[in-house]
Amino acid sequence: MAPQIRTFTQDDDLKYHYIAHTSLDVIEERVNSTTKSTECYLGLLYAMEEVAVYGYITPLRVKIVLALALTDAVIRDTEMTTVFKALHMVYYHSVSNPFLKLHSPSDSTSDGACLLLAGSPKWRSFRQRVDEVARAVGVVVPTSQA
Amino acid sequence: MNSYPAELLVQLAPVMFIAGLSLPPQSQPQSPPPTAQSPISSTPITQGPQRAISPNPTPQVVSPTPTPPPKLDPFTHLSYKLCEAFRAQRKMEIWQPDKSKVFQVVFVDKEVRFPPRKLAPPTTTTLSAPPPPPPAHQHSPLSPLSPSSPLYPDGLIAPIWIRKHTSLVPSVFVLFLRLYESPPPPQAQTQPPMSPLHDRERAERDRLEREERRGRDEEEERRRDGELAGEVAIRKKVCAERGVKLTVVLMASRRMLDDPSLDTRLTYIRRQSGLDARASLFVLSPVTQQELNEFVHSIQQALWEPSIEYYTSHSKRVRRKRNRHAQSGGVGYVVPAISTPPGGGVPTRPLRPEGWTVRYEYKMACFAEFRGEDEVALKHYQDAYEALVIMFGSTAILPPRTKRWAEAKVLADCVSVKICKLYLYNSEHALALSHHNSHIKKFADFSRGWGIGEETFEFWSWFARQHRILAELLEAGTRSSTPSTLKLPSHTPLVPPPIPTSAPSKGVLPPSTVAKGLELESLRSLGLGLNPSQALMHPGFYYYMAARCTEKRRERFLGVEEIEVTRPGYANSPGYLNEKKVDHLAIILELYTKSYELFKQHTPQPQAGHNQAQMQGRHMLWIAYRIAQTYYQAAKFDMAVRFFERIAKTYRREKWGSMLQPLLRTWYACAQQMGDVELSVRLLVELIGCGTDTTREEGDVSEIEEDLIVVMKSTAPSTIDGPLIVDLSESEPIFEPTVIFWSPEINVNEPAPFQLTLTAPTNISISSLPFTVLSIYFGEERPAVTVYHSSGLEVGDGEVQRVDLGLLSTSEAETGVKEVKGCLRWDRGGKVVFSGAVSSEVPSVLKVAKVVLTMREGKWWIEIPFDPSKSRQAALNNPKWLSSTKPPRYVPVGRSECHSTNVRHRPHELNVRLTHQEPAYLDEEYPIVIDITNTDDRDLDIMVDVLLHPAEIDLADDHITMDDQESNGLIKGVSFGVIPPGVNTAKTLFLASAGAPGDRTIDISIQSRSTAAPSQPRSPITPDTPAATPDMTEVLHTLVVSAVEAIKVVYDVTCRRRLGESRGLADLRTFDGDFRDDAEGAEGVITTTMECAGPWGVEVESVKLVPQDHPAAKVISSSQEADQDEFPSEWLPGDEFCDICRVAVWPDEVDNPEESIQGPGEYEITWRRLLSNGDRGPKSITRFALPSLKAPTDGLIALMEAPAKAKLHTPIPLHLTIRNRHPSRSANIVVQLDLDPTDGFVVAGLRSGRIPTLLPGAEEKISWRLIPIECGFVKVPRMRVLERRSAVATTQPTASGADVEVEGEIVKVVDVRWEGKDVDGNDEGNVESVEAEEAAGVQPTVLVLP
Repeated sequence: MAPQIRTFTQDDDLKYHYIAHTSLDVIEERVNSTTKSTECYLGLLYAMEEVAVYGYITPLRVKIVLALALTDAVIRDTEMTTVFKALHMVYYHSVSNPFLKLHSPSDSTSDGACLLLAGSPKWRSFRQRVDEVARAVGVVVPTSQA
Repeated sequence: MNSYPAELLVQLAPVMFIAGLSLPPQSQPQSPPPTAQSPISSTPITQGPQRAISPNPTPQVVSPTPTPPPKLDPFTHLSYKLCEAFRAQRKMEIWQPDKSKVFQVVFVDKEVRFPPRKLAPPTTTTLSAPPPPPPAHQHSPLSPLSPSSPLYPDGLIAPIWIRKHTSLVPSVFVLFLRLYESPPPPQAQTQPPMSPLHDRERAERDRLEREERRGRDEEEERRRDGELAGEVAIRKKVCAERGVKLTVVLMASRRMLDDPSLDTRLTYIRRQSGLDARASLFVLSPVTQQELNEFVHSIQQALWEPSIEYYTSHSKRVRRKRNRHAQSGGVGYVVPAISTPPGGGVPTRPLRPEGWTVRYEYKMACFAEFRGEDEVALKHYQDAYEALVIMFGSTAILPPRTKRWAEAKVLADCVSVKICKLYLYNSEHALALSHHNSHIKKFADFSRGWGIGEETFEFWSWFARQHRILAELLEAGTRSSTPSTLKLPSHTPLVPPPIPTSAPSKGVLPPSTVAKGLELESLRSLGLGLNPSQALMHPGFYYYMAARCTEKRRERFLGVEEIEVTRPGYANSPGYLNEKKVDHLAIILELYTKSYELFKQHTPQPQAGHNQAQMQGRHMLWIAYRIAQTYYQAAKFDMAVRFFERIAKTYRREKWGSMLQPLLRTWYACAQQMGDVELSVRLLVELIGCGTDTTREEGDVSEIEEDLIVVMKSTAPSTIDGPLIVDLSESEPIFEPTVIFWSPEINVNEPAPFQLTLTAPTNISISSLPFTVLSIYFGEERPAVTVYHSSGLEVGDGEVQRVDLGLLSTSEAETGVKEVKGCLRWDRGGKVVFSGAVSSEVPSVLKVAKVVLTMREGKWWIEIPFDPSKSRQAALNNPKWLSSTKPPRYVPVGRSECHSTNVRHRPHELNVRLTHQEPAYLDEEYPIVIDITNTDDRDLDIMVDVLLHPAEIDLADDHITMDDQESNGLIKGVSFGVIPPGVNTAKTLFLASAGAPGDRTIDISIQSRSTAAPSQPRSPITPDTPAATPDMTEVLHTLVVSAVEAIKVVYDVTCRRRLGESRGLADLRTFDGDFRDDAEGAEGVITTTMECAGPWGVEVESVKLVPQDHPAAKVISSSQEADQDEFPSEWLPGDEFCDICRVAVWPDEVDNPEESIQGPGEYEITWRRLLSNGDRGPKSITRFALPSLKAPTDGLIALMEAPAKAKLHTPIPLHLTIRNRHPSRSANIVVQLDLDPTDGFVVAGLRSGRIPTLLPGAEEKISWRLIPIECGFVKVPRMRVLERRSAVATTQPTASGADVEVEGEIVKVVDVRWEGKDVDGNDEGNVESVEAEEAAGVQPTVLVLP
């Protein structure tokens, strides 16, 4: 399922769509190669064209991709893990909102994940939470996140 | 790399000149001059004018000697082989981390001359072969100080300097020469034996001749050797001047090797020629290829050290000069240069001190590289680079856009590449990349200052070149096929995750880089992370970057071109004119293609077990997309379309619309350019579908509709035979479809109401699309419902339109194709609801399988089929049923699977009654009547299955019977036959439960089949549907029957000793097999109480005690024999019946006397249940086994018999039987009768006496006569029976000491009148002993009557 991309800088969405899409390659490769790893943080996926792309996969296989502007500085893994965990919690909090399913069929088995997509009315609170995380790390991690 | 002079990039290695070998003819065409071995000829920028290099530039190469191939003299052959072996040693390559001692071999002529070392400043007179010892003020012809030098006066270093050291001057010189060998003695020497004549004179002559010849030969040899030594000496001299090691290899025949004179000759030659003592003279004879290779190897080993020394000495020389230069502040060289300006040249400043530093550092780096000292080389290269950066920092030192500036820039780039390479050799990937980045950054900054910043194509051209050269370097590294010599398995840093597997805290770096401490240390100290800009990726990434940069370069160029059009002459620089000739798109394509290949190569490689199919290769698709875009820009639309087709497939599958849309747009543009109208139409329709998915501005998408209409109006399809089908099943449909069936289930032939809603996209207008027909398909075999557009009905604004389709039956008789008229125009976000009802004759799943929209315009006939159940939003929104249109109101349908409905048969109406009277009795055939009434209006065929659940009770042994089937589990398929409506049928199921009481569970499944055949295949296409779902109803009943006992039995058992006479061992009958001693064992009296326990009465037909043979027990008598005339009798609940029987028991003394003995028979009660209507139930038999008994086991016992009553003064007998039942011990018994004055008896008989010893099994009977003298219950006089034997045994130790009265052990006296034992053989109510008797106050008494 295609994710919805919201860029934090006024950059072209397409670029970040491509970054998210191509990072799936590396994520799959990493996930497949590590046998039974419970580690969520996948580290640097690739660096290219002014962005360093980091990956994270939740135990339920939700993939979070973070693109940082490429600077000549060491990015600490602990910091990245913290940001990823914060984002994971944001997602988790938003998904666990019971009102997400208010208007979906009562016997629907699908999870609420798709309700969080950009453009849907439920997207707003999720977006606000993501923005909070972005503001919080804004000092440490500069700008653009996808 | 092609854009840089190869000399500045190649890996340097010690150079070995080889002279004196004739080159093999076959290799002549492929052995161009040594300089051409490097793949690339130098660029015009850095190429100095060649004629100025040296006075004798030409004769370096051995001219292809026309050796006649046919007759291969062994030495020519050897020479060829040697050439091959040497040539195979080292290829000139840029990536060459191998550190084995292998030379760069250059084949030269014997007479080769080295370029002059120093030049006198004013003139170039160098044709005289050996230059005189250089005066101090002379300089190398390549020095900036020599006016004839291309570097004069301020050049830094030219590629030609490297070339001088790689191809014009060796570090070692290997000279191959033939050692003269005098021809072998003539054949006449072998003739003498053949000759018959053999006189002494002749022999003498021969000898003289030989001596003379030898003398001649020796003379000749000496002369030749002298010449040879002379030749070598000249060469030696030349070499010695340059510090070049000379090694001579003399080729001689094998015979010569064995010649004793060889040593002296060699010594002679060495002395004469002045060769070194060490490793300077070899002799080689024609040998095999392998030995030859060994020779080549060993000669390189031997010459390696002198070679290293050669380069070291160069280094030392340069270092000396540098130090001198540094001390003097560089003035020493500058001043004279200023004083002698070049002949007619522009007055330019001579080389500045910084330049000299660059020169010296660069030279030292090169010499270190020659020596293979990578780290030293790296250090000097870095210093050179730093100095260069300082120079670039000032426009005064290096004025931009001059020739020297361009040369310096090339030099800086090349040095940067060398630094990267050396880092990579050492597996310091992060440092390499870091250097690369900083180089780019520094020079990007400089570029801005030079006016060639990001806005110029020059900048991007250079930028792309940097990325490309890194990519090429990495590619060369990864491609090296011999991993053993490759220190860096270059793909390792690329492929494994920088944060591998388990712990990110540990695995910041791939293990290969961990080896290098410095990098890791710095990272560790900084914290557990890595700098992403220093994470080396595989070369594909850098090719991609290069391509992106080239794209930008092209953009800038096009920008300039645009201005050029409006203002001619705006850009007339040579750079622009050059740029004009560049085919940018071809370069971009090449770079992208390379990147694509490398991504492909690196994608599936690392993990085994994941084949390429599994890997999506999304990176590759991305690059493919860029390639397609480039093709589009290059106007190669057909190529672009081919790429787009492939890419779109994946993007559609992954539903990544936001990437698909721009792709489709470009694709559409291609289709437009190609004039492929059908493809255009397809793409436009898909774009409309995609348009609903993005958040693009409206103006962007509205043109799609216009475009589509314009295309349809202005063109015609290439074929007009059929419709053009635009299949949107893989991508998004134009409309948002929703299908709702009102109810989840529906009966056959009942109408199922449904609504199909088509919602138009909100962000794109499709109101003018000429939809003419909408067909709705409910399944393959059903006819479609067709809605025709009627133009009379116009769309209300934003309102919901409703089109009533009516009842759609599937029976073919009444339908052809159903046709309805309706409005097929949608406003933005408009909805059209097609509502109707559909019914089915057969059970199935009803759904809308396909919807086909048809557009017709001019000659166009476009059909757009799509599957309405695959909705984008289906999972998100609650489906709503339109309940009214004005105003629109909806009823939510609360199920997710509402886009289909199940059609099933009407359930059968059956009335089932199960009749039985609970509880069931055990052992009875308990009837359960199954009564089925058909209340349906169809004939029904009934089958019944009965399942008796396995009982959870122990000892249960049940079974069921129905018709003639009997089972303890399942009875299957009991047919009740076809029951017409209104008729009922009954069958009885019998449950026989045995064993323990408890609940029995029975499942009764009643299946009914309709015998009418409604599902005869009217539509021949679905013959399997009715078979799959037959018209069958199944009803399940579960019955729990509690089973209780009809008759309950209670036993009361007493046991007593037998009083019969023992026959004694003397009687022979005692030894019969089946003999039972009457005195032995016990007699059990069993009182059986049978009670009618159930809630129903029973009629008992008979009660019988059936004796069973038993070795240890026997029924002696039973009271029931007397009661036979009482039966049959009716027992009502609570009634009891009693029976007493006697059983004789003989314990098994030998084996297990303690074991209880099974009852030797059973009661068999035949009974029938008394039914409530007075009838009798079926005959049942219940059996009760007699209880088990236990015989008493005695040792020594005394049995007292006395009559129960007596008459006053009438004597009564009193007997005491003493039995020794001990199996082995005899008994010594003393009997005392204690008379007491209060006794009411006068006793006649033994008062006290000893009985004769009782053998085991023997008994003794003592009798008294008692005359009662009192009335009432008179106590029998107390008797004491003592067993002396055991007492003796116990007191024996003290008996001798004191006269103790030995009492003995008291033997139990049992009053047989009261004796009775329970089943367990415990005493019960009998006299225990005298003491116990007294204590209990119970003493045998006799009732004395007056």
